[in-house]
Amino acid sequence: METKQRHTIGRSISNESFISIFMVGVLVVLFAVACAFVPNFYLPKNMINLITNNWFVIILGIGVTFLLITGNFDLSVGGTIALTGVLSAYFCQAANVSQNALANGLGLPYGVAVGLALLCAMGIGAINAFFIARLKIPSIIITLGTMMLARGIAQVITRGAQRNTSLPDVFGVLGNMSIQGTSIKVSVLIMILLVVLAFIFEKMTVSGRRTYLIGANPVAARLSGIKVGRHLTSLYLISALLAGITGILLASEFKAGVSSRASGYEFDALVISLLGGVSIAGGFGSVLGMFVGAVILSVVTSAATGLLLSPDWQFTLKGVVTFIAILAQRFALDRRKG
Amino acid sequence: MKLTDNVLEIRDLVKDFPGVRAVNNVSFDIKRNTVHCLVGENGAGKSTLIKILTGASMRSGGKVLLNGEDYWAHNPKEAKQKGISTLFQELNVVDQLTVEENLTLGMEDTTFGFLRKTDKINKMVSVMNSLEPSINPRQKVSTLSVAKKQIVEIAKAVATESDIIIMDEPTAAISESEIARLFKIVKGLRDKNVTVIYISHRLDEIFELGDYVTVMRDGRHIDTKPVADIKDRSELIRMMIGKTVFEEYTPKEGACKDAILQVKNLSNHKLKDISFDVHEGEIVGFYGLVGAGKTELARAIYGIDDYEGEIIFKGRRLPPSPDKAIEAGIALVPEERRSQGLFTILTIRGNVPVMNMKKISINGFINSSQERKVTREYIDALRIATSSTEKEASKLSGGNQQKVVFAKCLFADAGLLMLDEPTRGIDVGAKSEIYGIIRRLSAEGKSIMIFSSELPEIMNICDSIYLLYDGSLKATMRNGCDIDSEKIIHIVTGGDVTSGDRPNATEYRGRGD
Amino acid sequence: MNVKSGKQESLRAQIDRADAARANIKNLYIYVILVLIVVVFSVVKLGQVEMFGRGHFLSPDSIVNLLRSAVPIMTLSGAFTLLMISGYIDLSVGSAMSLSAVVFAWLILNGFAFLPALLITVILGIAMGYLNGFLVMKLRITPVIATLVTLSIFKGIALLIVPDGLSAIKGSAERIMPAWINDYGRKDVILGLPWAFFVALAVIAVLVIVQKRTIVGKYAAAIGGNRTSAELSGINAVKWVWVLYVVVGLFAAFAGVARASYMSLGDPLSGDGMELDCIIAVLLGGTAFSGGEGSVAKTIIGALIIMCVTTGLMTVIPAFWQTVAKGSVLLFAVVLNHLLVREKVTA
Repeated sequence: METKQRHTIGRSISNESFISIFMVGVLVVLFAVACAFVPNFYLPKNMINLITNNWFVIILGIGVTFLLITGNFDLSVGGTIALTGVLSAYFCQAANVSQNALANGLGLPYGVAVGLALLCAMGIGAINAFFIARLKIPSIIITLGTMMLARGIAQVITRGAQRNTSLPDVFGVLGNMSIQGTSIKVSVLIMILLVVLAFIFEKMTVSGRRTYLIGANPVAARLSGIKVGRHLTSLYLISALLAGITGILLASEFKAGVSSRASGYEFDALVISLLGGVSIAGGFGSVLGMFVGAVILSVVTSAATGLLLSPDWQFTLKGVVTFIAILAQRFALDRRKG
Repeated sequence: MKLTDNVLEIRDLVKDFPGVRAVNNVSFDIKRNTVHCLVGENGAGKSTLIKILTGASMRSGGKVLLNGEDYWAHNPKEAKQKGISTLFQELNVVDQLTVEENLTLGMEDTTFGFLRKTDKINKMVSVMNSLEPSINPRQKVSTLSVAKKQIVEIAKAVATESDIIIMDEPTAAISESEIARLFKIVKGLRDKNVTVIYISHRLDEIFELGDYVTVMRDGRHIDTKPVADIKDRSELIRMMIGKTVFEEYTPKEGACKDAILQVKNLSNHKLKDISFDVHEGEIVGFYGLVGAGKTELARAIYGIDDYEGEIIFKGRRLPPSPDKAIEAGIALVPEERRSQGLFTILTIRGNVPVMNMKKISINGFINSSQERKVTREYIDALRIATSSTEKEASKLSGGNQQKVVFAKCLFADAGLLMLDEPTRGIDVGAKSEIYGIIRRLSAEGKSIMIFSSELPEIMNICDSIYLLYDGSLKATMRNGCDIDSEKIIHIVTGGDVTSGDRPNATEYRGRGD
Repeated sequence: MNVKSGKQESLRAQIDRADAARANIKNLYIYVILVLIVVVFSVVKLGQVEMFGRGHFLSPDSIVNLLRSAVPIMTLSGAFTLLMISGYIDLSVGSAMSLSAVVFAWLILNGFAFLPALLITVILGIAMGYLNGFLVMKLRITPVIATLVTLSIFKGIALLIVPDGLSAIKGSAERIMPAWINDYGRKDVILGLPWAFFVALAVIAVLVIVQKRTIVGKYAAAIGGNRTSAELSGINAVKWVWVLYVVVGLFAAFAGVARASYMSLGDPLSGDGMELDCIIAVLLGGTAFSGGEGSVAKTIIGALIIMCVTTGLMTVIPAFWQTVAKGSVLLFAVVLNHLLVREKVTA
């Protein structure tokens, strides 16, 4: 019996692709509505901003999405950003230059400082991995704890404020660099690169595939020879590393290691993953969807700003939008199956 | 409500599934206040019949009369309310509550929500005490042994005035002394106006406990008789298996090959000192009924459960974990294909290569065309009924799902395949296709271990047959020589192995050694 | 045979004694921890302050302050425990509390009397709990995600009610906040403690009784322990867990009223982190994360421990150490809980 490949759009695309396309549709609709009601929304500059303003949340979203696909949370990423930024400043602040403790650091070269700071970020990831992958304690609790731990250490090192003095000039380069002749920041480029890599990882690598398998059926995954604990550990380390990179870039951009940086970013990362179609039941989701979700979130928040709504509207909007998205996705998938 | 002689009357009961009639015009009566045993091989239709009584499944035709009135339960809760309680192997108690709390669960007397200590509680506790006085009603159920938890469930059923208590293989997980106590309780239930439907494959228990026995085979009712009228085990066994004609088994030719797997003195919570060898190219069957330890044996070898003893595979000690087992060359087709074998939300293509991703990837990158090609090859080779590699696994029929699991394990290039209940819940056509696949694999030199509770399956394809009962290896025999299926049933239902009868018969080791 | 049974007997006795010892540890460890914490903070500054004197951890002022700030978590964590026992969680309690504080303050500022304002706020709390129950039990959205969504919505609404430019609903030149707003949450009634404290005590007492002696407590444990068995016995899990969500919302409202009353203003951020405190209290108190087991009384002790740690640390270390301290306490509580509680096995 020969098998035929059916290439009808309706059947042969995966459910993930279906949802991603669905959310793109939602994005287009929302965008159209925003253009209709918000003055000056339809400007090329504005549209580019929709993607570039959120670059840090999108990088976080990569790690968070992969972990959500396996059925786990990572709420520690915001704290890790703060920690890495602060450490990158502290490690390369000139040593013994001032009476003010906050102006003294360890005097290491910038490159070394960055490397060490990233290692510390991965330390947070390792703590997550130990409790979650090894001791099998629910990830929501652990990552809340490590979130506080990371941010707390950042607060201690900056005494609740920031470290922004005695920094080498090179400190402010990465975060403020743009591509020659354009106004595209290097950070945005890094974000795009990472998203592309993540997408390749998700669709084309064995390791990416394993992520889905673990999320779809952890028991079957184990019986099929997948080393679940090891894989989860890698994902938590990667998530922490991504947060670390973001922290370095942000600290560089603002030329300061600030302990209050990235407050709430972990929540935004979760929101854009959910908007992108990730199912907490596991085994389903895509970084591409997450990216679309990020743009949707951008449209909503900047439309709100454009309509002169106060920033206080953000919380309510994010909650409502997420809720509607969850229901809509469920509805769409049910219709597709039935 | 007039109390009829028969508490339950089953008339022309039919249950159809797509492609198979699981219950075929079954009619018999169950007399009030008796212990009525239900026996039959795997696939005889007992479990389907019970599911209809407990509301887990709906009948396709026929009638069931409870106390003379038409009975229909749409779910287990309704069945319980109408008077049929069931004791399953998965205990239905809340561990974190006390015995007393479990007994009264759902039936508390309250004043404004406050739990009151009323006569009802005392009555229930006294029912409990009459069954087993050593259980303290204040203790947490989690501290009780499995046997005592069963007693709590029985007490609850009795105290809620169930007409019928169905017990499904209740002795599978409890010790001998606890079995004796359970029997005393079961016999005493007759005096408490309860009828017991007792399902067990341990024929000795039937003789000890039963007033009546109903034998089913192939979905049909064979006979219902008073136990006293049955001469001996053989008569019962004959009723169970009838004149089963087994497919011609062709013995393998060629010299005896080396042992690829050597299991020595394997013991754990269920298994008792099991030792055997599997040779290259051999198809070995492990036959036993529920609770015999088949799945536990497969899990131990695969490295999922802990064990004591030695397992040597291809000359080396086998490390106890699934990924190492797969690396070494063993693949397991698990017992529950939906929850353990398949990734149901993924497609066929998503499932097949999972156990050997190296073969469809280069340097960690998946080669999609290779992946699709391989999937199509297996779809063709195993004749999986689908038009596309992109079909969601959950949408396939049982037989096709099992073929996908097979494909998955075959792709792992394992030298040894362990198949746990490979054709459970699969229609006849798919079954024989799978047997063909197994024979082909053996011809290609693969070794195969089949764990099954279906005798025809074992008899059709296995070269060697190991019989398991209660965690022990009771006997081994080579297929092809005169196999006495009655003798086999006799052994797997707990009968004594007479030594000297067969070559390589393993002595029964008593408990407590 | 006799020798064997004799040996089995003494083995049995040994196991029983070990079990009893373990049970004792399970019941008493939390009091030990509380005492230790109190002792540590009492002793740590003895060089600088007098025992029971001004500034000391156990000075009357300090104790009153601690208990007054503990009122919200004392009011809230009991209900939170019941919900966790049934196997469900509510991460929106902090925002629900903030929103309640804001609404209550707004009502008082705009002329409502205490009781009507309280009543309206309580109804709001019930509505919030009802919404959570709806999302989780009816729409069957995972509790974590559903309550993170409502967390966002409640917080958003609270922020929106506060007029732009202000940080909270409070008195101003044009409109004064009546001084009697403090009567409930701050004013000294007995021993320096306000009404709110005694209300919290009553709430705790009620919930302890509810957990141990009423059908609500029993059903929560049954649903959390083995939902299938519970439903088979006729318990409507959807209804009962929904009720628990409503109760949590109700007491979140009370907590918000107490906080607003104490601070004389409605701060939309006043409840931030309350859900974390509740989680720590519940973990310290030995509640299983998967449900079935737990104790309101022990959670309250856990809440006291957190309050002691938070207020005690404030006297010893600078404010910027608070977060890392809290994170460490959480992880410590997690480890403790992991060692003490055997999570029920799922499949």
